[in-house]
Amino acid sequence: MITRRTVLQTGGWVAGLALLGAPLASVATPIVEIQMRGNADGSAVWFDPVGVLIGPGQTVRWINTDRGNSHTSTAYHPTNTGHPQRIPEAAEPWNSDYLLPDQAFELQFTVTGVYDYFCIPHEEAGMVGRIIVGSPTSTGLPSDNLPEAARQILPEVEEIVRRRIVRIAP
Amino acid sequence: MLFRIALIAGAFVLATVPAQAQTLDKAPPGGTYKKVSELVKLPDFLPGMGTLYVDAKTLPAGPFLAYDHDGKLVSTIYMIPVEDLQGKKKFDDLKATGGTVDHVDMYYNAGHPGVEKPHYHIVLWHVTKADEARVAQ
Repeated sequence: MITRRTVLQTGGWVAGLALLGAPLASVATPIVEIQMRGNADGSAVWFDPVGVLIGPGQTVRWINTDRGNSHTSTAYHPTNTGHPQRIPEAAEPWNSDYLLPDQAFELQFTVTGVYDYFCIPHEEAGMVGRIIVGSPTSTGLPSDNLPEAARQILPEVEEIVRRRIVRIAP
Repeated sequence: MLFRIALIAGAFVLATVPAQAQTLDKAPPGGTYKKVSELVKLPDFLPGMGTLYVDAKTLPAGPFLAYDHDGKLVSTIYMIPVEDLQGKKKFDDLKATGGTVDHVDMYYNAGHPGVEKPHYHIVLWHVTKADEARVAQ
C-alpha cells in the first residue's frame, strides 16, 4: 500500500503544544478509515462511510478498494478547480490526486467544523463525503450549488452528529 | 502445385484485408492507439473489461479496444456520456475493429479518469458469453 500523509492546517495551538512537548490527547485516537468503493461494473461509486464525526487532531485515511477505478479525495474549495468552499475558513484545502487500487491518503484534521469533499471524476455521480470535526456550530452550508446527485448523497450534519458514522447502500 | 496456389491465394487474401484488421486483434494495436493506463491514471487491467487502448483524439466515445491477459482482442467499447444521449447528440462514423461480434452489452458507468462524465458503455464482444471470463479478473 502506498500512503501519502498530510497534516491539514494545525490552527496554531496544536503545533505550539507539540513544540512545548505537551501531550496531545488526539495522539492516541484511532485513524478513521474511509473506503473508496465501486461495484463490479462501475455503475455505482461511493465513500464508505459517507459521513463521519471525528475529534480535533484525529486522522482520516482514504483507501481505494475499488479494483476497477481511480478515485480522489478533494476538498470543496476554490483552489480545487473553482469549486465552492465547503470547509472551514481556517482550514487548508486538500487534494489527494488520483489513487489507484490499494493506494491511500491520510490527513489530520485540527480545525473544528464541517468539511465536504468529493472525488474528481465522480462528483457528478454523487461520490461526495462529509467530515465533522469536533462540535459543529452550524448545520452546514446550503447545497444548492452542488450537482444533484451530490445533494442527494451528503448526509445532514445532525445525522452525522447523532450516528457518528453514516453509511449508504450502493 | 496445389500447395503453391494455396500460398499465393492466402497471401492475396491477407493483402486485401484492411491493415487495421490485421493489427487490432493482438495487443498492442499500434498506430494512434495508446494504452489507457498510460494516458490517465487507471489500473492497467480493468476487471470486467481487460486492458484498454484508445486513440485519445476519439475521446470520450472511442472505440476502446479491450484485450485479455494474453493480449487477444475481446471487445470493442464505446463510451457515450449520458448528457450526450439526453441531448440527442449524433455520433457518426465511429471506427470499428471489424471481425465477428458475438453479442452486445450496454450498461451505465459512473465515470472514470478519461471519461469523467457518467456514461454508457456499449460493448461489442468478440468472444462468447462464457469467454467473458477471460477478462473477469
